[in-house]
Amino acid sequence: MYTPVHCNANEEVGSDEMKRNSLVSLMGPVLLALAWLAVNQFPAATAQGPKESDRQTLVLNRAPVRVIRDQYSSFNGITMDEERREVYIADDNHSKILVYDAEFPPTDRVIEPRRQIAGPQTHLGYICTLAISPEDQEIFTVDNDWKDNMTVFPIDAKGNVAPLRELNVDHGAWGIFLDRKHNELFITIEHAHKISVYSKKAQGKEEPARFIQGPETGLADPHGIYVDPESNEIFVTNHGHWRKTEVGDKGVIVSFRRPTPSDSIKEFPASTGKFLPPSITVYARDAQGDAKPLRTISGPATRMNLPLGIYEVSGSRLLAVANAGDSSILFFDRSASGNTAPVRVIQGPATGIEGPSGVYVDSKRNELWVTNWNSHTATIYPSNASGNVAPKRVLRSAPKGAPVTGFGNPGGIVYDAKRDEMLVPN
Amino acid sequence: MSHPRISAFAGRANGNAKPVRVIEGQSTRFARTTHDLALDTIHDEIVAPNSFAEAILFFRGGASGEEKPIRIIQGPDTLLRNPDNVAVDAVHNEVFVASREGAVFVYPREANGNVAPIRILQGPQTKIRQANRVAIDSENDLMFVTTRFGSVLTFPRAAQGDTAPTAVISGPKTLLSDEHAPYRVAVYPEGKRIFVGVGGSHPLSGAVGGFVAVWKYGDNGDVPPWALIPSTPLTGLNHPFGGVALNPKAKEIMVLENSQPPGLLVFRVPELF
Repeated sequence: MYTPVHCNANEEVGSDEMKRNSLVSLMGPVLLALAWLAVNQFPAATAQGPKESDRQTLVLNRAPVRVIRDQYSSFNGITMDEERREVYIADDNHSKILVYDAEFPPTDRVIEPRRQIAGPQTHLGYICTLAISPEDQEIFTVDNDWKDNMTVFPIDAKGNVAPLRELNVDHGAWGIFLDRKHNELFITIEHAHKISVYSKKAQGKEEPARFIQGPETGLADPHGIYVDPESNEIFVTNHGHWRKTEVGDKGVIVSFRRPTPSDSIKEFPASTGKFLPPSITVYARDAQGDAKPLRTISGPATRMNLPLGIYEVSGSRLLAVANAGDSSILFFDRSASGNTAPVRVIQGPATGIEGPSGVYVDSKRNELWVTNWNSHTATIYPSNASGNVAPKRVLRSAPKGAPVTGFGNPGGIVYDAKRDEMLVPN
Repeated sequence: MSHPRISAFAGRANGNAKPVRVIEGQSTRFARTTHDLALDTIHDEIVAPNSFAEAILFFRGGASGEEKPIRIIQGPDTLLRNPDNVAVDAVHNEVFVASREGAVFVYPREANGNVAPIRILQGPQTKIRQANRVAIDSENDLMFVTTRFGSVLTFPRAAQGDTAPTAVISGPKTLLSDEHAPYRVAVYPEGKRIFVGVGGSHPLSGAVGGFVAVWKYGDNGDVPPWALIPSTPLTGLNHPFGGVALNPKAKEIMVLENSQPPGLLVFRVPELF
């Protein structure tokens, strides 16, 4: 019978076999307790088998000697209910929706949220962006990884509460925008280079009412999305990592819902991947299928560098873009096309902008909010700010200067012995 | 989730640590869904896949900031399809990519641009089907492949075509399954051991309690792990999807824990080295 051998100590001993035998004799009560744990946790391992399978597994139930983890909230996407005077921020590090007062005096101190939505009942995961419906008093968010869902909560929800409704979405959702005029939700899908459009009340396994996807769309690792219901146009930021997708492709990286592939000898198709420059692609609001963009803002003059959130500057023709790659906010005219320079830029050491994810312009208070993923902060400026301007106020989730680990959903690790460094990709 | 990057942490970093350097920005051509990295210790290079643009990126070992890759494998002849992992054999100058389409592609390490694989391992005899990760032991001339369906396969390093594995670790006693799928695999050639990060608590699979399992070279069939770091409150493991890396000199293993908030856990395990 398979019996796990447990070891909690870090002692150095002689040969492997000596060490394991000594552990068996010395750890009676602990062994019994942990054997119960192992047998109950891994019941299949108790099955009978030939000699090799009778091996006693050395179970190392011990605490790590070091743990790198960011204990503070990371600020990702942002939205606001201007009438309620509330700001909603997605924390992808701790799977929380944080709700703050939109008005607060300048301070260097950490500001506690008014309330937060968090816990296993919420089904929140690696959430990226948010939308609200003031009419229905609801808040929406999408998960970028693992949970593949959109969750909807009452706008005043608090704590570990179940969502009002939940919608299955394709793997890799990032941006969400609610078109309040037409009661439609627009969601970008990174992995499938796609924009899915749902009714505002969509839930369960409901399919999108329509979607934009295909080789002609120019969608390439899409992220932020803004829909102008007056001009009937959709604006999408793209990182430019492209492969050919067919209409209906759900993103082949997703294995969990895929059928088992055939193991027969096969011919592999030609690879289609390539790098496009980062861009903002613009579509008709009712576009669907393999629709060409109406126009594309792209090129070195645009200064785009991993653009993320995008939002209107109310009372103007401008769109603000969180330019994560060079820690700036870019402003483009909505009718811009091609290799066009931004109308204005907020950037520089005084701004406090560090890896911006989200932007929101509060038309009631004429303020521009920027969520900074690399500094545990949201920084607030006059909505007409430009250049290397200091923020009016800073909202902090961590003490000033607290280190940022910068984990997204880390996917791998290697150890560089030459530099004594651990390398982790997001 | 929004910021593609490679973060380098000091070997003794702990707590709310800041990386000592970060490779990020548009020019790096680095994207999200990078589920693996490889380190070429002979030529001092970092190798990373880009799943969305179907590319393999090579950086200087000391790269930092918005630094461009020094080489890129990409193009129609590469046959790459959503590559999210990579391994490098610096001794034999080869780069390996495990494919979810059920294959392992091999390229010259110094390849640049639109280069066809020099070998492809694929077919019903291989038992690969949906491959998760690949690792190479150039010292012992072995290749290890983990699969989505709960197996760890051993091949000769230069295996190609429809070649059967020399060992298959799979079955209920291995603790591997569809729900507890093996992901990143790291090898310790000196001690001839295989370290595997085994996923758990994926909301779509319903499984709980991922762990780190260690087997010996030559283990074959329905064999329990030789050693195991279990999912318990003490270890803090739940879903070590990001896998493991080894520091034999310090007798430590590094494990990425992908529950939220995600963390990098370092265990001192002299018994395993």
